[in-house]
Amino acid sequence: MNQTLNSPAGHQTKRLWLFGLFLLLILALLLLSLAFGSVSIPLKDIWGALIGREGVRESWVYIIQNSRLPRVLTAALAGIALSASGLQMQTMFRNPLADPFILGINSGASLGVAIAILGSGFVGGLFLPALNLGGEFSLVLAASFGAGLVLALILLVGRWVQNPTTLLILGLMFGHATSALVSLLVYFSAPERIQAYSVWSFGSFSGVNWTQLTVMSIVILAGVGLMALLPKGLNALLLGEDYARTMGLNVGLLRLIVLLSASVLSGVVTAFCGPIGFIGVAVPHIARNLFKTSNHKILIPAIILIGAAVSMAASLIAQLPGSQLVLPINVVTSLFGAPFVVWVVLKRKRGATSFNV
Amino acid sequence: MGGIKAKTRCHIVQRLTPSVLQTKALSIGYKNGGKTPKVIADQLNLQLNAGEFVCLVGPNGVGKSTLLRSVTGLQPKLDGEILMSGQRLETYHPRELAGQVSVVLTSPISVGAMRVDELTAMGRFPFTGLFDRMTDHDWEVVRETLRVVGVEKLSNRYIHTLSDGERQKVMIARALAQEPRLLVLDEPTAYLDLPGRVVVMNLLHDLASGHDKAVLTSTHDLDLALRHADRIWLMDDAGQIIQGAPEDLVLNGSFAQTFNRAGVRFDPLSGTFETQNSGSKSVFLEGVGPEVVWTRRALHRAGFAVDEEWIPGSPRVCVMPQNDIITWQVEFEGQTKTFTTIYDLLQILPK
Repeated sequence: MNQTLNSPAGHQTKRLWLFGLFLLLILALLLLSLAFGSVSIPLKDIWGALIGREGVRESWVYIIQNSRLPRVLTAALAGIALSASGLQMQTMFRNPLADPFILGINSGASLGVAIAILGSGFVGGLFLPALNLGGEFSLVLAASFGAGLVLALILLVGRWVQNPTTLLILGLMFGHATSALVSLLVYFSAPERIQAYSVWSFGSFSGVNWTQLTVMSIVILAGVGLMALLPKGLNALLLGEDYARTMGLNVGLLRLIVLLSASVLSGVVTAFCGPIGFIGVAVPHIARNLFKTSNHKILIPAIILIGAAVSMAASLIAQLPGSQLVLPINVVTSLFGAPFVVWVVLKRKRGATSFNV
Repeated sequence: MGGIKAKTRCHIVQRLTPSVLQTKALSIGYKNGGKTPKVIADQLNLQLNAGEFVCLVGPNGVGKSTLLRSVTGLQPKLDGEILMSGQRLETYHPRELAGQVSVVLTSPISVGAMRVDELTAMGRFPFTGLFDRMTDHDWEVVRETLRVVGVEKLSNRYIHTLSDGERQKVMIARALAQEPRLLVLDEPTAYLDLPGRVVVMNLLHDLASGHDKAVLTSTHDLDLALRHADRIWLMDDAGQIIQGAPEDLVLNGSFAQTFNRAGVRFDPLSGTFETQNSGSKSVFLEGVGPEVVWTRRALHRAGFAVDEEWIPGSPRVCVMPQNDIITWQVEFEGQTKTFTTIYDLLQILPK
């Protein structure tokens, strides 16, 4: 009886179908991502290559185990993390344009990387002397450091800035200030270093090795785990902090957890994959439109599935199957994603998503 | 079963402490980080009982919202005491307080893809656990609340498809689902059309008298407040609050004193505000019935003082209902003219 009130039968069945559909889609994308790239590997040999069975070409085993599998897993994890972060930011700021980077996490990471790549030119041997331009792990460290610094700043400021809009503006201003510093570094840098920095800023799911992938998945699991404790709190925040407070919620603690979870999630992705735009802002909208709800009990599992699928699809397209070219991931997400979101937004009825703007 | 039990228990508590909200020497305002706080109002001694519907009225900007935010714990008080069911407000755990008082805030919520029953069920948050598992009893309360407010038919509709009036009722339902002793509303009628306002005020009155809630609402709809409230808290520019039955406040002139300002006058006879006539031009009006009432309003608007006796030299308007046709006869400067609409009548009178 309470089930019917909770969710009319039609809605529930449709949602189950959607969940099933996205699971299938993710499986299909996984297979395709393993099969296609600069060389095509027949579908029937993929399983063999995955478990390293005798008789499968060694180069295929190597490509799948050390290149394509980590790449597709990175893509899926990054998609989940960015979507989870974006959802929390949109709900907390009750702003449909909020994305994982709205508080300047990516600016912090960019500054870290910019200092590592560009700044090393100025301070000569003093700073990161062993850094070669392709050294991914140094970049991860530099980006983590930058993102972590901003995260600490956000948590600190978030404790005594009560008004979310104020926090939003502070984040924006911080982003601008950081970008200015990055521009300054770029302005005085040698072309090849600028090139290296640009490559990082385009974003990439490649080049994350298994060790890094392990670190990344643990952090993302923790961030998503934190969010999984919050569906009730996030639902309450949809009505605004005042309502949440009068419903007996500890809004201060809630906000702190949201900030922590969202910032860690976006920070870790930026550190390992670069600043990847679009997914974090788009996936929550897709989820709300498809599942026709703002209820986070449904949205959280939904964005996990949709986020993984969207990100894997973008990664697959970026490989331009059949060619030797690889596109920057940001180009793909924006070029293919933007028209899709335009379509979703134009199609929706007034206020059919979570926020009436 | 659980519902009945809870209700019985609730009634016992209410008999023990009839006063739901009480303030003693309460001072409200804003703390400006170390500097001297900005005091909006102080020495407030207010009381609100179960079953009572109180309207908080006063000119714009006197601090009605600040008072409401203070007594619901959304904003810290400056000094004095706020007692909720006899216990000091700040000693409540947030969850316990949520079971005592719930709110409907001014600004409309911006949430879209959410159904009416989902939103109402959010009122059960203080009673559900971390993952918001609703028991049968919780859903029973939600259904009962939707029925009491009269929106049970909307329960599967999406919030963004509702009219403003329907949405406001649902917000009231959500607040009620918290099963509070005190319901606080900040200008719940602000975005509604006139019939919508009457419906909401009726509902609030019923919740107080029929369901033993204490209801406190701020409003700018003075005539509705005068009609529906059991008591008025009249707040003036100095932050002082006069309490009393609406009729008492009208008759002792408090109402007029608080709201009168240049060009506007509170008329205790009609219970409405009227533009003050500028005085110089006067008109004599005679006749009976509703036509005279409306003619007088039109003349007031046009800037005439309507006299009870005819002063030589001023226009003389006579309303003459003849069978089904109403005509207005005007004698002015020796001429007599007849009109069939008030609009035409106003055209010839001297500006």
